[in-house]
Amino acid sequence: MFWKKNTTALPVKSKEDMPYTKAGLSFKAWREKYGGRHKWRTIRWAVLISINGLFILSFLLDISMLEGSLSGSRLVGFYLMDPFNTLQQLVISFYTGHWVHLTMNFVIGAGTILVFYFLMGGRTFCSWICPYHFLAEWGEKLHNYLVKKKKIKEHAYNRYLRYVFWAGFLLLAFFTQNLVFEDLNPVGILSRAMIYGPGLILLWILLLITFEIVYSKRFWCRYVCPIGATYSMVGQLTPFGVKFDLDKCAHCLDCQNVCLVPHELWFVERGKATNQRHDVGADCTRCGLCIDVCPGEALSYTIKGWDRIL
Amino acid sequence: MAKQELNRRQFLKSGVIAVGALAAVGAGVGYLQKVTTENRINQKFLRPPGSIDEKDFIYACIKCGLCIQICPVQAIKFAGIKEGLAYGTPYIDARKQACDLSCDSIQCVETCPTAALYFVPFKNAGEKAIEKYDKTHRADPNYNPFPVQILAMKKQVKMGLAKVNEKTCLAVLGKGFKGIPRGKDFKGINRSPYGDSPKATPLRDKQYDAKICDVCVKECPMGEEAIVMGVHTNPDGTTGYKPDVLDGCVGCGVCVMVCPTAEPSIIVEPVNT
Repeated sequence: MFWKKNTTALPVKSKEDMPYTKAGLSFKAWREKYGGRHKWRTIRWAVLISINGLFILSFLLDISMLEGSLSGSRLVGFYLMDPFNTLQQLVISFYTGHWVHLTMNFVIGAGTILVFYFLMGGRTFCSWICPYHFLAEWGEKLHNYLVKKKKIKEHAYNRYLRYVFWAGFLLLAFFTQNLVFEDLNPVGILSRAMIYGPGLILLWILLLITFEIVYSKRFWCRYVCPIGATYSMVGQLTPFGVKFDLDKCAHCLDCQNVCLVPHELWFVERGKATNQRHDVGADCTRCGLCIDVCPGEALSYTIKGWDRIL
Repeated sequence: MAKQELNRRQFLKSGVIAVGALAAVGAGVGYLQKVTTENRINQKFLRPPGSIDEKDFIYACIKCGLCIQICPVQAIKFAGIKEGLAYGTPYIDARKQACDLSCDSIQCVETCPTAALYFVPFKNAGEKAIEKYDKTHRADPNYNPFPVQILAMKKQVKMGLAKVNEKTCLAVLGKGFKGIPRGKDFKGINRSPYGDSPKATPLRDKQYDAKICDVCVKECPMGEEAIVMGVHTNPDGTTGYKPDVLDGCVGCGVCVMVCPTAEPSIIVEPVNT
């Protein structure tokens, strides 16, 4: 329970307690034998591609399954609204008085998304649905390769920057009476381009992804995207997440290396964990890469409190 | 402690960059807004039915594409990046594909979640029409208020007003028209008010043979209330013709689409700007 949480680090495990010793293998052999699966990544990419594909098919074949785009859509007649778009819209329309005209579908759509992502873990949207994330994931691979080859340097910033951008974009929306972020939003742009045909605006996406590859890893997702920031706020107390079991961990740090938000896995480092069990925080996208890669299966999906009840 | 201090400094430093970037975006948007406000009015997008005032429309529209998705004749399109701040908002290019009002319930307006296309007046008009119909037709065995309702809703549309260019209009020039209005390869579709097809059909399938060109008058979905062929006597005693646009014109743009001249001799001026 969080109010009883230990805050001092637990003692480092001895070699006899390490999972590879228990399995009767050397560290290297154990890691090679059990690590590096791709189960969740395959599932996740399948979900991402089929959801975006459903948008495209709904328009192409006129089947009315998932209409609209990721800015606002209708799932078999049930409305869903992008949360940051909703916020911008409210900020402006409360000022101009347009809010009285907003439809019940708008309220239901925004509410449904908030409740759903509260249950599923906030930034789950990012890795399971967002088409820009899919691009950025490949961009990150390329970026890591270039860094490894020493062609480029890594440039990291403070991740709380995105809250500056979050507030900034809301202020901009208010002062310009325009959905400023929606003009720059790669999620909406990509979604619209895929469904309704490409346009020159895709150059902006190209610019972003190039910047991420050659300069700063995942710059947009980590430091700018206010949609992700909104989802982070929504997911603060979310029940669904990834749990960590210290007993099964050998501190190989494979999970941190593949993680899209490595600061969320701070407890896997040797001598950092303060509890036998840890849960990841709100920035975790629940992508499952760490679960796939972990040789000891120390990381797994969980519903907080659920295992206690069982 | 030292690490914390470093983090704070790093955050402040990046924060300054972020605020700078935002200020740049804000200045850019502000500038564009100033430059294109006039431009936008000159440009005069033909917005989908029920669109609210342009200055509200620009933020009320979240660019989701639901209206585009639902339009049965695919008249609505996304504005490209060339339109500046109007990027991603829906508009109708009437010359390519007009809104022919052949839909069942003005769905584009009904579907809009943010009331950028405002449905309430349509709903009210429809309900009023049903009430009125109810009073007179309650005992009717073929009781069906739907056509009355949908007609009342369509009359509520006010996208623009058609305007005839007298210099090129074939009727004004006293010319007739024979053949297919926009050629064999034209992809536009519409539902003619005189035909019996319940769906919109390709314009290229329609043949005309008129002594005085009256394609726009014939194809207008709102009929006699919107446009009629005006006949008058010229000073020299000959008979002159001119399509007269009346108050019933909803600005749907079908006349623009069907006009057989190379440049449309009738255009729709949007009212929402």
